[in-house]
Amino acid sequence: MQIEMKFRYYDGDPGEFIKVIEDKCTGCGQCAKFCTTRVWEKVGKIYKPINLSNCVECGACWNVCMADAIDFGEPHGGTGVKFSYG
Amino acid sequence: MKKTIFIRNISEDLMNFMKSDVEYDVIVVGAGCAGPAAAKKCAELGLKTLLIEKALDPGAKNVSGTCLNMAALGDTDLHYIMKCPIEREIHSMRTYHISEDRTTIFTEMPKEGVLLLSIRRDEFDKWHTEQARQAGAEIRLGTAVVDIIQENNTIRGVILESGEKLMCHVVIDGGGVNSIVGRKAGLIPKRSGKNMILYITAAVHLGEEIINERFKDEQGGCCIEYYLAPGTQYKTWPWIFPKKDTVTLGTGGYMTQELINDEFPTVEQYMRNFMNLPIIQKKLEGGKIESWGVHLEYDNKIEQKTKNGLILTGEAGGFVIPFLGEGMPEAFLTGIYAAKTAAACIKKGDVSQSALSEFYEDMIQENLFLQGFMYVGEENKKSILSKPDEEIVEMMQSVIMGGGFITNAVHTKWFKGVENGSIDEVEEAKTFLEFIQPYRQVSTDYMDIYREMRAQVNSNISEKSKNGSDEK
Repeated sequence: MQIEMKFRYYDGDPGEFIKVIEDKCTGCGQCAKFCTTRVWEKVGKIYKPINLSNCVECGACWNVCMADAIDFGEPHGGTGVKFSYG
Repeated sequence: MKKTIFIRNISEDLMNFMKSDVEYDVIVVGAGCAGPAAAKKCAELGLKTLLIEKALDPGAKNVSGTCLNMAALGDTDLHYIMKCPIEREIHSMRTYHISEDRTTIFTEMPKEGVLLLSIRRDEFDKWHTEQARQAGAEIRLGTAVVDIIQENNTIRGVILESGEKLMCHVVIDGGGVNSIVGRKAGLIPKRSGKNMILYITAAVHLGEEIINERFKDEQGGCCIEYYLAPGTQYKTWPWIFPKKDTVTLGTGGYMTQELINDEFPTVEQYMRNFMNLPIIQKKLEGGKIESWGVHLEYDNKIEQKTKNGLILTGEAGGFVIPFLGEGMPEAFLTGIYAAKTAAACIKKGDVSQSALSEFYEDMIQENLFLQGFMYVGEENKKSILSKPDEEIVEMMQSVIMGGGFITNAVHTKWFKGVENGSIDEVEEAKTFLEFIQPYRQVSTDYMDIYREMRAQVNSNISEKSKNGSDEK
């Protein structure tokens, strides 16, 4: 059985709350590897949070980025992922 | 003479402290488990308190196992938690060890009492935030904190995304594992993939009666279940926790290179394999997946939990033991202790790191539940991380057969002592075994308190419905 993960989100634009610091990114791809919602994609030699609207704000990418190339902030208040059962 | 000078100095400091331009005594960031507990206690202690949460609904950004440990709620500070919205009372634990050719099942069932309270975090966190509001705390939802205000090496407040600056005497950080407050203050480190657990959860709707039937224990109570099966976890324990009409499932693993590899290209593959086990398919038959969650946990201490004007609580302060599935009671307790610390230090006019740390650490050290579970977590983590996968399955079996995680931690230390010929280590394990006894099971005392708390909830409900009918 194929099981697809689908998340719910608040309405509204969360803003660019995750950014890549381009001159620090080494293109190692750890961010993309540990991301469960495929936010990160390779663009040229570096990775960018292309699909940020899928982000569940877990922080895995920030924590595995050895090059300190990820600026991980907060989505605008009242936007972003929404869980129900916890 | 000396005494007079001493008093004058204190009041000068106090005067400088009080005349500073602050709106709040305490600002609490995050309405998870620790934040509302801290805000409620601050307000009760007479502090002007603000609780800030980025979600519009408290709990909407929170993911956890959602089973409250009754042994922990026996702590006097946490009795009020027993009045929370409860989905189900959990009476026993069942563990399935599934290998290629057989399945072995163990059940742990106390003679009497409730082991755990199953909750929903959206309901629970909303209720808990309301308790803080009723105690007198101001609440701001849908508000993201983006930075802290630092002056003279002291945290003086927070900056909201609107640019609004809010000043206070003490910031209590309840912002969770990646809290922006703790990170900006330089206390929460980047974990670099070490001691990090990535967890996926799913809620499956089955209906109340089906859950009653499929998760019934031998005494007619409700049972939570743990599973050990190939390809369903990486050094963790997949679980199913029944709610009222829904069950939640969780699995994941330690974030190392081995967690995600060619065989497991993404962590949700573990969840797919878990849900596809024949025994789980049967348990979930006819069910519908309602929602998903993803959560990171940090399985290591945060060395420094305070700074001038700042206290870290709950998961932001590293008070979580993913291997034991423990974190919520630790968050409640540390939130409350942070509030007591803030109140005492603000009264003294000294919110320096040393003043906050002394008060806060003392309370943590004096709590046997916190100390006991930290010991158990540390010992169990050592054994699980140092062993190859085949040995972990054996170890987990012995954990189950030997009566749980606590016994395993004691045995690990005990056996190591015997192996090393160190009588001190054996003695330490023995002392700990005696020390931990009150926390091994839910005593009837806790059950008496629990019944009393639920009776209060029920009488409030009937009071309200009575008043409601009067109004009509």
